[in-house]
Amino acid sequence: MTNFIEILIRGLMLGSVYALVGMGLTLVWGVVGIVNIAHGEFVMLGAYLAFWAFSLIHFNPLLSVALAIPIFFFAGMTIHKRITERLTKAPELSALILTFGMSILIWNLAQFFWTNTYRSVPYLTGSFPFFGLVFAKSKTVSFFLALGITAALFAFLKYSRLGKGIRATSQNSEVALVCGINTMRMRAVTFGMGIALAGAAGTIVSLQWVIFPQMGASYVSKAFAIVVLGGLGNIQGALAGGLIIGVLESLTTQYWSAKMAQIIPSMTILLILLLKPTGLFKK
Amino acid sequence: MHNETILRIDDVVKKFGEVAALDHCSFNIEQGSITGLIGPNGAGKTTLFNLITGVLQPDSGHLFFKGEEITGKKPYEIARRGVGRTYQIIRIFPKMTLLENLVVVGKGRERRVMERAMELLQLVKLSEKKDDYASDLSFGQQKLLSLAQVLMFDAELILLDEPAAGINPTLQNELMALIHRLNEGGKTFIIVEHDMGVIMNHCQNAIALNYGQKIAEGSCSLIQQDERLLEHYFGR
Amino acid sequence: MKNSSGDRNLIGLGISLLMAFLVSVPFFASDYWMTLLVLILIYTVYASGWNLFSGLTGYTNFGLAWFIGVSGYVSSLLIADHKFFWLLAWPIGALFVGIVSIGVGYILLRIKGVYFAISMVALTEGTRELFGTEYLEPITHGGKGVPFVAGISLSALYWSILLLAFMTVIVCYKITSSKFGLRLMAIREDEQAAETLGIHTTREKIIAFVLSAFLTGLAGAIHFTYQNYIDPSFGFTIHLTLTPIVMALFGGVGTVFGPAIGATLFTFIHEILWAELTILYMAIFGGILILLILFFPQGLLGWMKERGVLPRIRKI
Repeated sequence: MTNFIEILIRGLMLGSVYALVGMGLTLVWGVVGIVNIAHGEFVMLGAYLAFWAFSLIHFNPLLSVALAIPIFFFAGMTIHKRITERLTKAPELSALILTFGMSILIWNLAQFFWTNTYRSVPYLTGSFPFFGLVFAKSKTVSFFLALGITAALFAFLKYSRLGKGIRATSQNSEVALVCGINTMRMRAVTFGMGIALAGAAGTIVSLQWVIFPQMGASYVSKAFAIVVLGGLGNIQGALAGGLIIGVLESLTTQYWSAKMAQIIPSMTILLILLLKPTGLFKK
Repeated sequence: MHNETILRIDDVVKKFGEVAALDHCSFNIEQGSITGLIGPNGAGKTTLFNLITGVLQPDSGHLFFKGEEITGKKPYEIARRGVGRTYQIIRIFPKMTLLENLVVVGKGRERRVMERAMELLQLVKLSEKKDDYASDLSFGQQKLLSLAQVLMFDAELILLDEPAAGINPTLQNELMALIHRLNEGGKTFIIVEHDMGVIMNHCQNAIALNYGQKIAEGSCSLIQQDERLLEHYFGR
Repeated sequence: MKNSSGDRNLIGLGISLLMAFLVSVPFFASDYWMTLLVLILIYTVYASGWNLFSGLTGYTNFGLAWFIGVSGYVSSLLIADHKFFWLLAWPIGALFVGIVSIGVGYILLRIKGVYFAISMVALTEGTRELFGTEYLEPITHGGKGVPFVAGISLSALYWSILLLAFMTVIVCYKITSSKFGLRLMAIREDEQAAETLGIHTTREKIIAFVLSAFLTGLAGAIHFTYQNYIDPSFGFTIHLTLTPIVMALFGGVGTVFGPAIGATLFTFIHEILWAELTILYMAIFGGILILLILFFPQGLLGWMKERGVLPRIRKI
């Protein structure tokens, strides 16, 4: 029984990071209308940011998160203004193919510059006991970091003027435009936020997992499963979806096999799209 | 002369969430008639069209076309039985030529289909533009093409969603004249229109909907005198 | 319109000459050139097969690798483990993926737009993982992969894929100028309107999907026979989906010859870049994809048609 609870909590910890990635994807998809296949690549870049900052100047990886958010935010805004904004009137599938190209470009450049060597950030090692359960320090810290960012995101969307504008744009961009909201700026800001979430997730991931150029693929497939589970553009749904995927992965790995756990995202996508295409949660 | 019922709507209910778009609606349409469907925005007219063509399914109630139940049938099955519609926002196939727009819905042998398509393009006076993309047509011409599409698969009951809206008076007259000619040839029409003049001048009967309920039905002259309707349309 | 029969004769003559040349290639060309042509022809089938379904219906298939991998696996396993003759194993592989595609199409083609694309990726990824698990290992050899020798000469392989590529282009040509092709385009333009005009959209979509699966599957079977090897990550790699899409986009989506032209050009580009810049090659590929969507969305043939260099008809 303690074992089961431990695995469950591990799943939630894992899921909290997945949720960050998923919330970024669903935010951009819902508000900007762009399906960003390259989303996982920004997770990878975030992880490398933490790695290089740590190994070159011994920058504290926990602070890398604070560093990553503004960097990725502005990078995302720039990418949107230069490239993806041109696609807002194009068919949805153009964006799909373009961001696909972006994904390939980014991870191959990463491979070119940083090679295929597996890297890691040996910062928080070891574990600590907690009421008879044992948790890795890195995973526990990651969990609280992810929760903190999630709480900040929710507060931002709920209380800030900008956040309200983003929610208005996501619900009806024409009405928002008429109401004097600069929807173009909203889209750029949202795109930046989505990328920042991916980047922040990446720095968190670097604490507990190996880093390599192709790592984005597994995160983007999980993020898609999360968006489909939570319903398109539904941030709370994405949080719940992330936790569900994390717990499922943790349970499957433990009680079945690691190989089968890899199939979870694709199975989730197929099942949800067939049975309940609007997602499990109400907005 | 033509008293046979071509379409029977029997106690149809359609809800979107809590709101009933159609609330126990029943009526019959006679073969060879032109019926106006009137009512304010949100009265359920377009929903009714969507139910008749099978795009939506009713929550309860039944629909019959020429005596055969069509409730629950797929849109293409209903179309093949002889129900055609045009849309308020024109929905032709923009990146296909006019000829292709017609040929694509034709049935039977290639040669026969081509001939029929050319005939229809002549009928709507668009034969000179047969190889142009449909997106190059004016709004009014697109409406004519849309009507020709419906004729192409020999629909007997034709549902027109605001055929006269947004087109110039000359083309409007031409279109209405065409509808009368087709009607004389045996086609049955149901027309949704906001312009009461069009309804009064061109329809024999009218059905008035409000909040998804049928509030009046009868010949146009009778409808015109109905007080509740006067409130909605003529009074202020 | 008047000189269209003259045009047709000219095009016919050109195609006959090209075919005569291509058929005779094994008698004079080196193995290097034949290998290059084999790849061009395989990718011609992939790109045309993708275009046949996605270009006409507008449903973007991001799971072309699934068609290729499933058929490649079936035929490779038949040759490797059951000693089937290659000429028999190939059509069985293609028929298998074609038949399974009826069911897959029936289920997944209800999903529209981006969601359809994602569901096809999920199907491909799921199958890739599944083929590598211990549960299917007795059949698929799991992650170890299937090395095999089919005992086919390069010339025979070349002629086979040449015939298939020729048939594929003919099929695409026939379909784009048929009523079936028009119905598929109507689905692309406005699916609901098409259905209320009496078009059985589900059936038409499935037929095109299955046809695309069969043709690309057949090319996939030949592809892996040529490679003498298949494994899950190789057979279902995203590149097998991506590369044909780029080729079709470059040549012109929805055109008959565009995908073939795209396949030829990109195989050459691949050959040159691969030799010079092995790692950067994929990055450049990604960059090209971005530029194509931004500046050249209608493709080479579409661009030429718009400029009036080519007539605006479907048969090109």
